[in-house]
Amino acid sequence: MPASCLGESRRLLLLPLLLLRCGLSAGSPADPAVTAKDASHSQASSLTKMQAGLLESSPEPMTTAQTVNWQTQGSSSDHLTLGRSVSAPGSDLATQEFKEATKDNITFVKYEALLPGVSGTSVEKNIILDSATRIELSCRLDKKYSHLQSQVTWKKGNETIRYINKTENSWSIKLQILDSSNMGSYSCAVKSEEEISAEFHLQVPKIEGREKPIVSYGGDTAVMMCKSSGYTPIAWTWYVTNGSEQMAINASLAEKYVISSISANVTHLKILKLTEEDDGEYWCEAAFELGESRARLRLRVLSFMVPLKPFLAIVTEAVILVTLIFLYEIYSKKKENHAEDEKEFDQVEQLKSEDSNGLENSSARHRRI
Amino acid sequence: MPPPPSPPAPRRCPRGVGGAVLGGAFVQAALVAGGPRALALLLRPLGGALGAGGAAAAGAGAAPLAALQLGGPLGSALSSRFGARPVAMAGGLLAGLGLLLGAFASHMGHLYLSVGLVAGLGWALVFTPSLATVGRYFPARRALATGLVVSGASVSGLATGTLVPLLLDTYGWRGALLLLAAISFNLVAAGALLRPLPSPIENLGLPRDQPGLLWLLHHGPFLRYALAFVLVDTGYYVPFVHGEAHAHEVGCDDHHAGLVMAAMAVVDGGGRVASGWLAARSAAPLLHHLFTWVMLTGLVSLLLPLGTSCWALLPLAMAYGFCAGAVVPLQFTGVAEVAGTGRLVHAIGLMQMFESVGSLLGPPLAGWLHDTTGDFTISFVTAGAFLLAGSLLLLTLPGCSCPGSKGGGPTTPTQAPDGPELPLSPLEPL
Repeated sequence: MPASCLGESRRLLLLPLLLLRCGLSAGSPADPAVTAKDASHSQASSLTKMQAGLLESSPEPMTTAQTVNWQTQGSSSDHLTLGRSVSAPGSDLATQEFKEATKDNITFVKYEALLPGVSGTSVEKNIILDSATRIELSCRLDKKYSHLQSQVTWKKGNETIRYINKTENSWSIKLQILDSSNMGSYSCAVKSEEEISAEFHLQVPKIEGREKPIVSYGGDTAVMMCKSSGYTPIAWTWYVTNGSEQMAINASLAEKYVISSISANVTHLKILKLTEEDDGEYWCEAAFELGESRARLRLRVLSFMVPLKPFLAIVTEAVILVTLIFLYEIYSKKKENHAEDEKEFDQVEQLKSEDSNGLENSSARHRRI
Repeated sequence: MPPPPSPPAPRRCPRGVGGAVLGGAFVQAALVAGGPRALALLLRPLGGALGAGGAAAAGAGAAPLAALQLGGPLGSALSSRFGARPVAMAGGLLAGLGLLLGAFASHMGHLYLSVGLVAGLGWALVFTPSLATVGRYFPARRALATGLVVSGASVSGLATGTLVPLLLDTYGWRGALLLLAAISFNLVAAGALLRPLPSPIENLGLPRDQPGLLWLLHHGPFLRYALAFVLVDTGYYVPFVHGEAHAHEVGCDDHHAGLVMAAMAVVDGGGRVASGWLAARSAAPLLHHLFTWVMLTGLVSLLLPLGTSCWALLPLAMAYGFCAGAVVPLQFTGVAEVAGTGRLVHAIGLMQMFESVGSLLGPPLAGWLHDTTGDFTISFVTAGAFLLAGSLLLLTLPGCSCPGSKGGGPTTPTQAPDGPELPLSPLEPL
């Protein structure tokens, strides 16, 4: 299906389809089948064993597992539970991720960072999550640094996370991400002379608006579009910037604004009967289970005077060219006619002189005779 | 260069008029070819603004192209009645008006009518007289002159790619249409340059036209020529229209795909000039040149599926662009060979009308083949097959057997006699 969409959308000359008809969506958020990428079987098995161990220590996996509980001042507790979720493909310098199935058919997604990062800098990984999920974040130390084993700490912001799973070379924490308060940055740090750390940023998916302003004219209808690639938001909201405030667009403004969606990933805001006041910034907001994500669009409303000036300039230039061409033609025709006249004059003169010569000759002949 | 002198001629055709005709025709080719292309780019962002969806906007982009080709005979008939210059100027005015009206369209139907019908018709009225005049002014080097002129189309193809997005970002689609209308009005100035050739019998009235058109429709070689180009056009546009999509499919990213298409357009322009120059210098008959280039184009189209990576596609695309460009000037000069200079205007118009069948069917057919088979291999192979079929049909034409003359020589004695514009022949070299 996407292939045919692409093919059609490229028929510029004959049948261009607008991009909004062929939403080029990358992954499929609802598809729970995540390809498992196993880096090494031994790691997997060791972790499985660890999981199994944990399971045994917490006999009811779905209830709060006391061992992983960390209470920080006032913040909600994150519990260890095991679940299954979808992770977005990440992009980072040295990370691996793979999925595991444990015996209770509960899985979680693991994100791992290899330490140290490139030339001693901090490793950062952005993890995009749109719905409640359980993840495991893990930092693995290079063998060279095995002597630093006991010095790894995990933090969320400034709060230290106490329960850390430790294997031979890696330290990990398991998180249940339920709402936006669980999102943010989690970091692991190794105490040493240099700064060896890794940071995981849990974020909601970004949505696309439009970089360049949408240009329209008074009295027209403008259509603005926001798209979420790969993740389906729960709801869309549009905001119009009124002075410095942002006002949500709701049903009361139906004569002016029309919000529609052709698909769950795409939303349209149609603004009718544009005036100069509609010029400005608009925001579209996608609500996900784990938070909201916004994009900005700008609308410019012009009056017809704006393009009129260059239009008149070009038309004047064309008229001038036409006039010049015709004037030149008339002028050169006149020159030709002059030249013709002169030539005719010369010819007539020549004939006359020939005539007179002939007369003279004949008279000479006459005289001779 | 103006026709060689018989004594009255130098006084009627001052120097530089030929150059002016070339320049004017160049601008006309550029604007007429660039117009529909600019429209296609411009109509994408319409979205729901005019209350219609993408397919309707696409139709408004295809309509001017159709009008341009189908209106060919009309341009011929009018220009043989009233002369090339007035018709070309009127066409320019019409095209500009059509785009101007489109800028104020409040409804998709308005857009169809204004941009599609009016502007398309205007372009049709410019195109045929322009090429016919060039053909008449340069009978000795018709191919080269035509090649130079049609290379204008390539230039504008590249220019619209940069200009139209700029206009859209600054002025929106209405403003962009407005400014394109202003630019189109320059067609009037370009048309003014098409000074009519001084010919004793210029203004014969209507009775002259009908025999021209009707006679052509009975003329075997011309019909075969036109049919050959129906076949050629069915395949010709396929790589141009679907090239970008194919580039994406073989792995080019957006930037490189645009690069491939731009390279194709540049080489296209080069090919047009090169083939005109080559045909003018060589002693071989023009139709042989035409056949060779059409066949080469077909062969390259067959080879296009071999480009399985972005970098492999680039040279193949450029080869195709060059060969395809080479065909264009020869097509229009070849028709003069087949139909006679006297009927050049009619022949071009009629041929365009026939061609439109092919050019309107070809790319959608290729698109359907792609959707059915999954990639463009069969599409390109089919396009190549059509091109080769057209070239084979060209072989059946009585080739020009002018001994030793340059490619664009006058019609052979074996062809049907020239039409009523016989008086032109003394001005042409023998």
